[in-house]
Amino acid sequence: MARARQLQLVSFVILATAICASAEARKEFRFTVGPGAVISITNQYGPISVKPGSGSQVIVIAVLHSDQVEIDHSQNGNRVDVLSHLLSEANTDAGRVDYEVSVPSDASVTLRSSTGVLHAEGLHGDVTLEGSQANVEVRDISDAHVHVRTLNGSVALNNIRNGHVEITSVSGDVVLNSVNGPLVQVNSTSGKIHYEGDFGNSGEYMLTSHSGDIEASAPNDASIDVTARSVRGKVENDFLLEPKHTPFVVRAGSAFAGTMNKAASSVRLFSFSGKIHLKKRQNTL
Amino acid sequence: MNCSEFQESLPEAFESGPTAEQDSHLKSCSTCSDLVADLDLIAREARQLQESAEPNPRVWNSIEIVLRQEGIIRDPHLGPSLVPARARRWNMAWLAPVAAMVLVAFGIVIFQRGSADSRLSAHLDTTSSALPAALSTSQRAPIANNNDDDQVLAAVASRSPAMQAQYASNLQNVNDYIKDAEASAQADPNDEEAQQIVMDAYEQRATVYEMALDRSLP
Repeated sequence: MARARQLQLVSFVILATAICASAEARKEFRFTVGPGAVISITNQYGPISVKPGSGSQVIVIAVLHSDQVEIDHSQNGNRVDVLSHLLSEANTDAGRVDYEVSVPSDASVTLRSSTGVLHAEGLHGDVTLEGSQANVEVRDISDAHVHVRTLNGSVALNNIRNGHVEITSVSGDVVLNSVNGPLVQVNSTSGKIHYEGDFGNSGEYMLTSHSGDIEASAPNDASIDVTARSVRGKVENDFLLEPKHTPFVVRAGSAFAGTMNKAASSVRLFSFSGKIHLKKRQNTL
Repeated sequence: MNCSEFQESLPEAFESGPTAEQDSHLKSCSTCSDLVADLDLIAREARQLQESAEPNPRVWNSIEIVLRQEGIIRDPHLGPSLVPARARRWNMAWLAPVAAMVLVAFGIVIFQRGSADSRLSAHLDTTSSALPAALSTSQRAPIANNNDDDQVLAAVASRSPAMQAQYASNLQNVNDYIKDAEASAQADPNDEEAQQIVMDAYEQRATVYEMALDRSLP
């Protein structure tokens, strides 16, 4: 009798698992593209991850969490569009789709999701990531434009080389680690900005926040022309800078300006009420 | 005689006719003969244009009457004058282009005023992140911002009520950013960085608006 009840329980569990699994549907789409393809994925709820693949195929694997969402997709020449289409009043859970995408490494990619996570790595085509609440992660991108826009999501960039980087985050924190290129621009209202790197050997770096703190950490051999200002916050500098002329009055504790080594890169740190700190990072052997 | 000497002596040639030397050069030099032919043509066409553009005498009479009534022209005084009198028509002839220029200038002023009004209206009506115009912006901006913000929040409330509080908080922070940025820029109009910060601040608001109103994403 007890054994029978055990068997019934196990059967029930197996059946329940099967029912749950059947609510999720895995779909795969493949597109053959040429060089410089343009890929766009819009997903209201759920993460999108893009990595480089081999060959000239775009492979999209989508896991749908309910039947209240379907995938619309189209290809026009070298342009591929994928969209999560909510069929009814699907909420965050029912309308969720998880995307895993592999693209040719030279493809330009646009990812949009309100909840995220948005992840892109290993590419050298332009990357655009947008989402109101989405956390954004970008790594190992070279020789490309990186555009990020979020409202509250955090932004983390790692190992971006020779990049043209533009980040707009209203309240999300922004972390840049080894990000170099001709232009690195971060604009935030209340999010914190943290930069760790050497500012490259030529480029413009502009880190601006209204009330968020800005912390930039660089080695002693960084070659920079730096200006830092905070209207109401404090500024700190760990380096010995060669003084330079500025168009504004440099008030100790509220601003500093100067050059280091050959001043190859221009660095502008600006905040209204956030604290600014230019930190000296010890070189690790 | 070479070409440069010939061209230097051209004014005398037109006044009193070409000399034998100039004539001989014209016959042997196609460049200079073409130049003379072109100058002749221009002179002929100019005379014809003057004759064909001559207005009806009634026009000049009407202008004279109006100008006399306005007291702008008076009867010429009697007595010796160091400047020879010019024909009455010539006196009024220069007024016509002057009047035309005044009308054109007036039209430009009206056009510019109209363009500025339409630009200001467009700025108030749209959610653009462009740098605002000077002077009256500080008075207009709060009213426009409140209206635009209210519309955006209403749109968010209708689509994603749970997000409304977050958007309201973001908008409040962004508006504070804009206010500080504008104050900083106005305190020192020569500070280019401060001007750039104003644009950055408006870009933040544009981001909030676009994300709120994007129909493909909640």
